[in-house]
Amino acid sequence: MKKLLFSTCIALLCFACSEDSVSYLEGISGKSGSITRFAIYQDYMYLLNLNEVQTYDIKQKEHPVLVHQMPTDYGLETITVYDGTVFLGSTTSLYILDISNPAAPVIQSQSDRISDIGFSGCDPVAVKGNYAYSTIKVIENACGTISAASALVVYDIHDKSAPVVVGTYALNIPNGLGYKDNYLFVCDEGSDELLVYDITDPTHVVLTAYAVSITDPYDLIVDGQKMIVSSKTDFQIFDISDITQIKRLGQISK
Amino acid sequence: MIHKLIYVFVSCMALCASCTKTEREFYDGQGKKPVYLPLSELHDVKNEPPTPIGLSGTLFLRDTLLFILEQRKGIHVFNIKDSLNTLNLAFFKIPAITDFVISGNLLYADSWKDLVIIDISNLHQIQVTDRIVDVISPVLYPPLFNGIYECVDESKGAVINWEDALLEDAKCVTIN
Repeated sequence: MKKLLFSTCIALLCFACSEDSVSYLEGISGKSGSITRFAIYQDYMYLLNLNEVQTYDIKQKEHPVLVHQMPTDYGLETITVYDGTVFLGSTTSLYILDISNPAAPVIQSQSDRISDIGFSGCDPVAVKGNYAYSTIKVIENACGTISAASALVVYDIHDKSAPVVVGTYALNIPNGLGYKDNYLFVCDEGSDELLVYDITDPTHVVLTAYAVSITDPYDLIVDGQKMIVSSKTDFQIFDISDITQIKRLGQISK
Repeated sequence: MIHKLIYVFVSCMALCASCTKTEREFYDGQGKKPVYLPLSELHDVKNEPPTPIGLSGTLFLRDTLLFILEQRKGIHVFNIKDSLNTLNLAFFKIPAITDFVISGNLLYADSWKDLVIIDISNLHQIQVTDRIVDVISPVLYPPLFNGIYECVDESKGAVINWEDALLEDAKCVTIN
């Protein structure tokens, strides 16, 4: 009996370990929100400076080596990798980088938002299939007044060397974004809502009535049937298995 | 870009002013000044007891572990397996951090001008495996702020905050 008790204790101990530090082993990948300056692709890590993309070889994970530096215009803000292509959001442009040689990214295109659509601003990019979705936030103009020129912009990226704007949708103060299936979630700080768009037809994106009220939402991560949304005051976890009824499961307070 | 240009412009004017000995008024009034962390303290990367989260940033989800960046301070780690009862597991102190990513058991973070590589196989005993110095160009002006500010003096350390201050002869100004 004592032996049994002892081995149960050992088993429990191991369980406790695995819950915690051993629960993520080499090879299990994770994901960032949409607002970040770091990205991993295969054996490489990309890091954004204000006007430069750095590439690190991380084959020796503990000791990365800076192998490539690519200059860009000032204003790089976010990076995401989708289907072997890098997308950068900057204050003025959407960059698409060819990483067929991941050790040395090459600029495939740079869409100037100001000349294309009359907006300048920042913010992240989410990519699905042949379309890229980017929020653009302009809080203040030079006169210090609130500008209405914030938007969700949809790019057709069939030709990655020449993306075409196929839609712009007005927003208040948008931040991070992400999607599940044919639904795009956008954190809109200005309206204090997590907006939900139907992107079944990317050229005709439709705002749905499934929005969730969140004070000052900042960024999100979609993970299967769950979604985590960060805000200025907390982190909320949602069940998104039924988009028409997004349920709040729990939260982490600040 | 604009900030840099103006900084350069003002610096040039300062230079010209000193060369020609013409008197030049700089900016006086309410503005922002940098809060510095001595560079020696950047190396103080370690576990600390879990704390409430301040100004947050980048999120990273690994299985049921949610890593949350706290600006300039470090990374909070939560187990969110049970959404109703999330567990605050650990805090990694990483001075001057603004962003990070995780691959395998390694965490890559910026820390002022350095890239720091940290082994997190044991969440309660993290270890720095490497530090690549002077590769990151930190932002040297107060974010989301229009007005005058005290220019950053990098010899004083890493900027970890900006505080309101009554400035005299401030040489820097942001225009968004």
